[in-house]
Amino acid sequence: MQSWLRDSDPGIRISDNVIGVPTGKREPTMRTLLKAALAGATLMTPASAALAQDKVELTLWHMEQPPHRVQRVQEVIDAFNAANPDIVVKQEPQNWGEVYAKAPAAIAAGQGPDLLFAIPDFTPILKDIGALNSVEDFVKELDAKHDFVDSAVEAYSYDGGVWAVPLYNMAMNLWYRKSVFQEAGIEVPETWEEWKAAAEALSKDGVYGIGLPANKQLYTDQTVYSFMVNGGATEIYNEDGSLRFDNPETVASYRFYADMHKMSPADSTSWTWGEAEACFSSRSCAMVLQFTVIATYDTQAEGDAADLGVAAIPHAEGQEGHNTISYANAVMILAKDEAKREAAEKFISFLLEPENYGRFLNMEPGLFMPVTADGAKAESFWSDPMVQKYKSQIETVIQNAANGRLFGFTSGRTFPSIAAISAQNIIAETLQNMVVNGQSAEEAVAAGQARMEEVSKQ
Amino acid sequence: MSRGLGWNVVLAACLLFFAALIGLPFWWVLTGSIKIPQEIIARMPTMIPHSFTLQHYQKLFSASDYPVYLINSLIVATASTVLTLLLALPAAYAFFRLRFPGRAIAYRTILLAYAFPSIVVLIPLFGLFAKVGLVDRLPALILVNTAFALPFAIWMLRSFLAGIPKEIEEAAVMDGAPTLTLLRHIMIPLIAPGIASVGIYAFITAWTEYVFASVLILSDAKRTLPVGFSGIIGQYQIDWGLLLAGASVAIIPVVTLFAFVGRGFVSGLTEGAVK
Repeated sequence: MQSWLRDSDPGIRISDNVIGVPTGKREPTMRTLLKAALAGATLMTPASAALAQDKVELTLWHMEQPPHRVQRVQEVIDAFNAANPDIVVKQEPQNWGEVYAKAPAAIAAGQGPDLLFAIPDFTPILKDIGALNSVEDFVKELDAKHDFVDSAVEAYSYDGGVWAVPLYNMAMNLWYRKSVFQEAGIEVPETWEEWKAAAEALSKDGVYGIGLPANKQLYTDQTVYSFMVNGGATEIYNEDGSLRFDNPETVASYRFYADMHKMSPADSTSWTWGEAEACFSSRSCAMVLQFTVIATYDTQAEGDAADLGVAAIPHAEGQEGHNTISYANAVMILAKDEAKREAAEKFISFLLEPENYGRFLNMEPGLFMPVTADGAKAESFWSDPMVQKYKSQIETVIQNAANGRLFGFTSGRTFPSIAAISAQNIIAETLQNMVVNGQSAEEAVAAGQARMEEVSKQ
Repeated sequence: MSRGLGWNVVLAACLLFFAALIGLPFWWVLTGSIKIPQEIIARMPTMIPHSFTLQHYQKLFSASDYPVYLINSLIVATASTVLTLLLALPAAYAFFRLRFPGRAIAYRTILLAYAFPSIVVLIPLFGLFAKVGLVDRLPALILVNTAFALPFAIWMLRSFLAGIPKEIEEAAVMDGAPTLTLLRHIMIPLIAPGIASVGIYAFITAWTEYVFASVLILSDAKRTLPVGFSGIIGQYQIDWGLLLAGASVAIIPVVTLFAFVGRGFVSGLTEGAVK
């Protein structure tokens, strides 16, 4: 068991450890301080530089910026650094909004990180600029030890290599309140027909039957695709790389989404994840599609774990099984230096060890799900108080995630244009053409395919 | 000429409407920041808080790097403002008074800087700053903010200088004042409102700048408020109380600047004018 260092300093650097700053002494004057600093710098720099050379320094960029997540990542890093005195990992949290432009620029300028977190559509961008080497052998080694969820590895496996190591999963689910369903005499819907009937029955007394977004933004991409994978429209590419977005299944999925959206709040055309969660937590929306609502439900709503319901997303009539969109988040190794790559692999192996993994995942309890079989059973994961409280919900989420798909990363076929299609939110734009601009499903999907073809050529 | 009662009522109603339009969002943010989480997202919103808590402010200052971002923003915005004014004043005076070849063309083309969206120069600038070791350093932001505020600042100050009666300047010249003395002791006090306006403009531009700050700064300890704060709020899950508390604190420096600095400059002008 690791000893976790709780009061960590996220900004700690190797030089802080080596040089050290005396504390608890009499306050020196500014002049004395400057002299001492100058003398100290002159004397100590060669020594500190020599010591620094003995250690391998790794810079980790991740996009988990909220303070509690940064703190938890730092705790994991501190434990790793303590257990590996020859390696120093430091974190530099970034923002998803900027990292798509920032990372290539930083790499080109020689300022890039050694390790960088990723989602599937981010990886091709860095692969195309030659920043990545395949980590296939390393992933195989980890798979043999921990047993990855297949879909998580698939999302990073193409062009004869594996380009990132899966770290955690996020899958979309249907959230509701059990008491609300019971009062309305509703069973958990299995099919689209039942789902629509449930939303209609729940749309009363100022409550919206379901909260679905229609913003031109990633959240809408995710919810729309969650309909598509349950309506037989999982693939948006043919085997030869041509687009097959415009097909009867996609049209039917959009038509059904637009029908359901009529039971959502009017401002949902500008929603992101937070607004949907708030709508559910405040009881304004009876159902929402979300990765998780647990943290907000627990801290900002009533927090009654027994009443919180989660289910797989209903499927179209004639379809079998429940699917969902899932984002297997991963980490890319950007370091080119052999010693750094070795250190990076050591750090990733450390993260995936069951005794560390749960603690890492629970930087946001209920949101980040394990991508390894032993991680899903890890004591470090299930012992978190919030995870214990919402154990049944989290078990359902993990189960749903096993049927996760991601547009452009299915069936082992991945084409570079998916990065542009995803970046420009064309799936969401297609929906907006229906619910905002009044186009029919057929017109909107045809226009969507044309837009996809247009950005694919650029 | 006195206005009728009806006209006064209409005017008052218009005033009230616009005051509410401007003031209500601020009221919403400020009162929301002291409500408990359940009340913030309640189905029926409350205009007057039914609860009181400082938990969001406590979390903001104790569990996040918000104070660091706040200090970084203050440093960047203040330094950018000072540098903009230091460069814009002599430049504006030179365009206004000195005769040199290409003056008219240079003056007109100076605003071309605004023809290019900042995103266009972002990547080349990153490469340039990386070469000179300015990436992940606050001076990089100060330089960028100054460069983008300077053209408009020069234009504005030149217009203010043009509004000063020529006789005042001639009198100073006849008394033997050199150019720098003339600028420092005569012109600057007379265009104090213009300097205040430009100062406030430069400060707010730097205070709210996001694009360059998000790319040129890599480490958390050097982030400015807009970038750092957007990270604190979270993506998939939003802590609404934290968001409202952070937004409330973020407007304090700007309000302070308007309330005190701007007023001070204007009072300085009127004191000089009475003489």
